[in-house]
Amino acid sequence: MNSSILTIENLNVYFDVFGGSVSAVRGLNLTLDHNESIGIIGESGCGKSTLSYTIMRYLAPNSRVTGKVMFREDNLLEKTEQEILAFRGNRIAMVYQNPYSSLNPALTIGFQLDEVTRFHQKASKEKAREKSIQALTSLNMGDPEGLVKRYPHQISGGMQQRVCIAMALLCQPDLMILDEPTTALDVTTEAVILDLIRDLKDKYAMSLMYISHDIGVINKVADRIVVMYSGEIVESGPNEELFAHPHHPYTRALINCIPREGLVKENFRLNTIPGYVKQRGTDEGGCPFAERCSMKVAGCIERYGMREVGEKHAAACDRAYAADVADSFAKLKVSRSKQHADHTKPILEVQDLYKHFGKKRKIYAVNGVSVGVERGTVLGIVGESGCGKTTMGQTAVGLYTPSKGRILFNDTDISVSWKKRSPEMLKQIQFIFQNPGRSLNPSHTVEQIISRPLKKLMGISSREERKTRIIKMLEQVGLSEEYLSKKSSHLSGGEQQRVAIARAFCLSPGLIICDEPTSALDVSVQSSVLNLLGDLQAETLAAYVFISHDLHVINYISDYIMVMYLGRVCEYGTREEVMQPPFHPYTEALLSSVPEIDPSQKKRKIRLGGQLPDPAKKIRGCPFAGRCHMQIGTICETQPPPLVKFSDTHSLSCHLDFPDAVREPAGEATG
Amino acid sequence: MNFTFMIIKRLGSLVVTLVVMSVVIFLLVEIMPGDVAEMILGQSATPESLEALREERGLNDPVFTRYLRWAGGLLQGDLGESIYMRGVPINTLLWRRVGHSMLLALTAFIIFVPLSIFLGIVAGVKAKKTADSIISFLGLATMALPEFVSGVFLISIFAVQLRIFPIISVIPIGESVFSNLDILILPALSITFVMFGYVSRMQRSSMIQVMNSDYIRAAMLKGMPRRYVILRHALKNAMLPTITIIGMNMGWLFGGLIVVETLFAYPGMGSLLMTAIRTRDVPLIEACVLLITVVFAVSTLITDVMYGFLNPRIRFQGDVQ
Ligand code: SF4
Ligand code: SF4
Repeated sequence: MNSSILTIENLNVYFDVFGGSVSAVRGLNLTLDHNESIGIIGESGCGKSTLSYTIMRYLAPNSRVTGKVMFREDNLLEKTEQEILAFRGNRIAMVYQNPYSSLNPALTIGFQLDEVTRFHQKASKEKAREKSIQALTSLNMGDPEGLVKRYPHQISGGMQQRVCIAMALLCQPDLMILDEPTTALDVTTEAVILDLIRDLKDKYAMSLMYISHDIGVINKVADRIVVMYSGEIVESGPNEELFAHPHHPYTRALINCIPREGLVKENFRLNTIPGYVKQRGTDEGGCPFAERCSMKVAGCIERYGMREVGEKHAAACDRAYAADVADSFAKLKVSRSKQHADHTKPILEVQDLYKHFGKKRKIYAVNGVSVGVERGTVLGIVGESGCGKTTMGQTAVGLYTPSKGRILFNDTDISVSWKKRSPEMLKQIQFIFQNPGRSLNPSHTVEQIISRPLKKLMGISSREERKTRIIKMLEQVGLSEEYLSKKSSHLSGGEQQRVAIARAFCLSPGLIICDEPTSALDVSVQSSVLNLLGDLQAETLAAYVFISHDLHVINYISDYIMVMYLGRVCEYGTREEVMQPPFHPYTEALLSSVPEIDPSQKKRKIRLGGQLPDPAKKIRGCPFAGRCHMQIGTICETQPPPLVKFSDTHSLSCHLDFPDAVREPAGEATG
Repeated sequence: MNFTFMIIKRLGSLVVTLVVMSVVIFLLVEIMPGDVAEMILGQSATPESLEALREERGLNDPVFTRYLRWAGGLLQGDLGESIYMRGVPINTLLWRRVGHSMLLALTAFIIFVPLSIFLGIVAGVKAKKTADSIISFLGLATMALPEFVSGVFLISIFAVQLRIFPIISVIPIGESVFSNLDILILPALSITFVMFGYVSRMQRSSMIQVMNSDYIRAAMLKGMPRRYVILRHALKNAMLPTITIIGMNMGWLFGGLIVVETLFAYPGMGSLLMTAIRTRDVPLIEACVLLITVVFAVSTLITDVMYGFLNPRIRFQGDVQ
């Protein structure tokens, strides 16, 4: 018997659109063996999702498909609507990016699980329920009997995704397609789910097709990586080889875009890929990456095409390290001095800050945080969703007023709403948010957007003068003068974020609060935004508070790092101090959960069980107690941990016994 | 907060709404030119007789006292007396009419709600296909026609040409509406005409939205047949917004009732209110408007309860983890 589960031959998918047709997948060949797991990586618009929906035969009516998709002996493309039902959810199952929206809000979890076996195995109601409960139990979910009676919105995101995985497993499929299943989850949850997926693959001898934009995630679950660009496979090979010796310039460029261990802003710029992925018409051929490729030479287009370049390793081009053109990657090494930091006095000082929401059901978002940000430095705040990092930032900007505690900016008390702050203060503190599309007025032109604060806060009344400044600022963020008259809704995500950055910097602020500024962007765009933020900071000496869930990004950009959990500071120190032992147990767990970009790196595995405690609950002891892998005993639950100081800058709160450290008893717990 | 508690809270706010509305209605009628005494005496009024009548009826009391008296009466079920009909208690007039209107509204409801929801769903499922075009065209066409136009249109076809239904919907003296049910059909149809376009369009768009949602895609990719996915996964969610819209448009339905009842000379509350307004029968206007408010508020409440019933996210609010 043929051991391959899935064989795709010369697959083309076109979409008929207004005025022609575009090609979403082109000339794609792929084989997936029994019990093999491949990861498909690519940025948005590269056709990876279209590929999975083509396999599932779930494409919009304006699509045309040619080629072969062989699932064992069946060509899925030739099946009728009726016949394909027997494959979907039965032999081929799928798990999606957003578990919350993939579960029907109006039906119980049990009902949604049961129907799978009721349809595919003609199971009776009781039998189906029994199987559903079995599937939930096999994923180590507590209280499956109770769970089946609940509705999706009553359980956490991590649980929802496990329900979705259980649903996919019910008929023990031969192939499971996972489309960014952990992108919406926290790193610690992600780590647990990824382990689970790996285990299940072997337990049920399934083949996996794992789609993601995150090469680190793919490393954890896949044996082989397939890189897609603009609907074509450009390279495929075993993880380690692909990472160590990429052959296609795009693969190499992509890997170098990603912030990872050892890359910090003082020594490295991240690689960027100019331009963007183009929708290709059906008649265009040749190398899809040609327009953005730095290795391009006159003759390379003719030679383009998939070839074996090593064992199980194929690439459409092998010029990643070609010697006949100057290697642009060499320029990435830089040395940016750190001299401009002023250690004498913090520009921003947060003193014992509390922020609670709600009246009856109090949510304790921030619980006694004290921290200072020095002039010209970057404070990175990292933590999972619900840790209070965003509330912190928004309180500093003045979107909220503190419930208790003070915020000082250059010794001025700014613990008030932004409406009550002086124009000078508003100018000094700027912010950049995650979703540039939402923070910029879509119907305003770029000029209007940047012009407004210039007029209101800088008092520049002459339109000409404002315009000259804006043009200069746009140049600094890498946008040309043409952008002046463009509406923000017509810009790409990366361009919008550049406009937001330009708006913030044109006021020469002393402090910029960046709340997840790159997490909605593709890696190649993220890297250019991070480079830009690094450059601008070196030029203007502004200080940043940089909030992110992504430890690699935080590590790249920050001078100081603060790790937060449940509204409290777990650990604070310089980047080196926080990223190296001694660790706070939570920092350690976070670091071990982060998917490693480089597959040869192996690290200690710490998996957090449980979930964040209810934010409305008052906590007496250590907030991390209950999930902590180092927990000492009841002392952790009943007594607030002391502050353990290792140096002037490095401190953490934990009951653990660290040698050579000064301990200070904890202050009042929650107020 | 659980569902029962929510209902109790809504009941509380319903009472508040009614109190506020009764004040508003009272004050509105208050600022209308002329007072009750002038209306009663009409042409024969002299300053002395007016004054005497005002004194007798307590019209010279402060507004607040008069409001309390009126509201107090309402609470005891006394709606006052009609002026135009020379002192007939409104209670004897109104309730029969209300019954008639309810019956008409109910008939219309039974026709248009299932019809528009069903056709809306069909249009949504078959979006951009022929069936959808036909339904959408029908919806737009009927929506554009005001009740009196569609009413006349219906009359000329079914009553004048085909002679299936009576031209006007009067109830012969001494008979009850129940022995004359055929008179309900044409008025109910003209109300259906107005509501259909609106409700079916709403249903269509929410159906399309639901069919494009992630969870419908997930259900389809679990290998469920399309018909089953539509019935079990899509319907419940797709009907939520429609129910709200229907509930919110009860007022509109009443507006329609007034016109249609007048057109067909149907003895309902709408035509009573029209008569009251024409004859400036203040207590009767007050009673009618207040009643419409009650119906409106209650139907909103029912809508919310239904909504909560269909939507577990409302029913189980608060125990989200
Ligand atoms: S074929 Fe040429 S343009 Fe395309 S990736 Fe290779 S070197 Fe670059
Ligand atoms: S105090 Fe205890 S529970 Fe908290 S981090 Fe330290 S060891 Fe873990």
